[in-house]
Amino acid sequence: MATLQLNDIVKDFGGTQVIKGVDLEVKDREFVVFVGPSGCGKSTLMRMIAGLESATAGDIKVDGKRINEVGPAERGLAMVFQSYALYPHMTVEDNMGFSLRLAKVKKAERREKVLAAARILQLEPLLDRKPRALSGGQRQRVAIGRAIVRNPSIFLFDEPLSNLDAALRVQMRIELARLHEELDATMIYVTHDQIEAMTMADKIVVLQDGEVEQIGSPMELYHHPCNRFVAGFIGSPKMNFLDVEVREASGEGINVALPGGDCRVPVMGDGVSAGDTLTLGIRPEHLELDEQGPLEGKIVVIERLGGATSLYLEHGGSEWILVADGDVALHVHDQVRFSFAPTCAHLFKGDGEALTHLHRHPLVDIDRQENRAKPA
Amino acid sequence: MTTSKRWIPLTFKVTLLTLLLVWTLIPIIWMVLSSFKPNSVITANTPRIFFTPTLEHYASLFSSGNSLWPYLLNSLFIAGVSTLIAVVLGCMAGFGLSRIRIRGKQHLAFWIISTRMAPIAAVIVPLYLLFRYLYLLDTHAGLIVAYLSFNLPFAIWLMTAFFDDLPPDLEEAAMIDGATKFQAFRYVVLPLMTPGLVTTAILCFIFAWNDYAFAQTFSGPSTQTIPIAAAQLLTQTGIDWGKLLAIGTIVVCPMAIAGLLVKRWLVQGLTLGAVK
Repeated sequence: MATLQLNDIVKDFGGTQVIKGVDLEVKDREFVVFVGPSGCGKSTLMRMIAGLESATAGDIKVDGKRINEVGPAERGLAMVFQSYALYPHMTVEDNMGFSLRLAKVKKAERREKVLAAARILQLEPLLDRKPRALSGGQRQRVAIGRAIVRNPSIFLFDEPLSNLDAALRVQMRIELARLHEELDATMIYVTHDQIEAMTMADKIVVLQDGEVEQIGSPMELYHHPCNRFVAGFIGSPKMNFLDVEVREASGEGINVALPGGDCRVPVMGDGVSAGDTLTLGIRPEHLELDEQGPLEGKIVVIERLGGATSLYLEHGGSEWILVADGDVALHVHDQVRFSFAPTCAHLFKGDGEALTHLHRHPLVDIDRQENRAKPA
Repeated sequence: MTTSKRWIPLTFKVTLLTLLLVWTLIPIIWMVLSSFKPNSVITANTPRIFFTPTLEHYASLFSSGNSLWPYLLNSLFIAGVSTLIAVVLGCMAGFGLSRIRIRGKQHLAFWIISTRMAPIAAVIVPLYLLFRYLYLLDTHAGLIVAYLSFNLPFAIWLMTAFFDDLPPDLEEAAMIDGATKFQAFRYVVLPLMTPGLVTTAILCFIFAWNDYAFAQTFSGPSTQTIPIAAAQLLTQTGIDWGKLLAIGTIVVCPMAIAGLLVKRWLVQGLTLGAVK
């Protein structure tokens, strides 16, 4: 069990900075997810924690001890690779027991530990097989099993589910969450899939271009994104954006002009004055069909998912998405009006920074532990 | 309709392959066959396929005053040692070239393989002069060095390609599992490199085993290889066809058999990276 600290980590590849000063604190037994678009540096950051890349500057500390100069073998971490990286010439048992063999653990003890891990992952019938005789999901399990056998202080997962098909991915996601509970270990997980991030993380680190955009619980990122990038990245379908003009800024919020009437968004208006242009952001699921609504659009595409319907609307030259009930009786080319609850709206300044909400969402500080705990 | 369409290219393929087989195999089969013929049959005006086989040529090769044994041992020793060195060094250099991040790596790799591009004739005189100064003429070491000068760049280049095809994830996984760089190489990389090592070794061995030019120039009485022995049978007074064909068979057969034995690896090795 361990904590991890990153202090002002920089990584420079031949003159280009791919990591530009990252600070992070991972608590004991926390499940932290690095998420961001491809090329944002999340895998590089993980490889630096693993010791596979050196940090150009900054400190990496495990349990308060600086480990920058410690090789990957001595860091006592385990990593699950995107490609699984199973040793093709070894059986499943030998793959899982390789770290113990290197540590000169006796054969009987080795077998016992491998069996224990295999039991957790239901791998017992496969122990004598070679990786090539396994399916993708089984290989993934073996890779995780190999990490468990190592009994690491921190588990590292580098996009472990991205090579699996959709159904298997959901299943493994649930298994990983269960595993985290069972092993009670510190885990760091890299993904570009915001759903994986939202569902598994205690804490999400959103990265872009080698910089941390925001660190927070899934609910905090969803309800209080600190800038436009995070707002657009977290949540599916993506948040809708519209440039609006400020009518009035006061202690109770900011009045902005919408085509069908003004609207007061309850955010802090420091430094904002009438006449400024801000960007209004509303999630598709917070938009409602409303004949008296202040916004209007023409339906371009309808996606019916059964439980919900995604309406793609043409609205003032941009495309908006509105998630409505599963049984709305609308057609393409219909003109609809819609509204939203002002408390669910977000306002962003010209540089993308979000204006702070006056009220915090009640679920923002819930973590996975609390999620699991039954109400007394 | 579709069958006839497929049928035509198939006949074409079969004909082409048959021609190719006839072209490459007939001389070899004729050589092997003739090495078992008595002298009278070899030189008969009408080629004969049926005859009473004899081992007299082979027997005389190994029994007469000028036995083939020393040549054979020289060939095995020189080709073997130069192959071993080429594969070991080529493996290490190839691993380095494939894995280490250095500026201008591709130029370095190209420079190494470019040394292999010079024709043998271009280096033979300079090498001769060098060997004379270094007292390497008529030594096993001299020939080994000569073959290495051609085989090492080739081995490095080939092994680099093999390592490039092996995902670095595997070594990294081994290192995270607690292996040192060397242990990762020894337990994970090397076992997976068998096809590459075998392919490289066979190609290097064939080059040294078959070479005539270097052996003719640098070897002396105590270091002559089999191709030299064959050449010595072409004398001004006549050609001993029987012995010559027997030597030819001895030169070709081990390579052919070895090639067949490791065919699976050889094909896998030579097409590695080509089909993905």
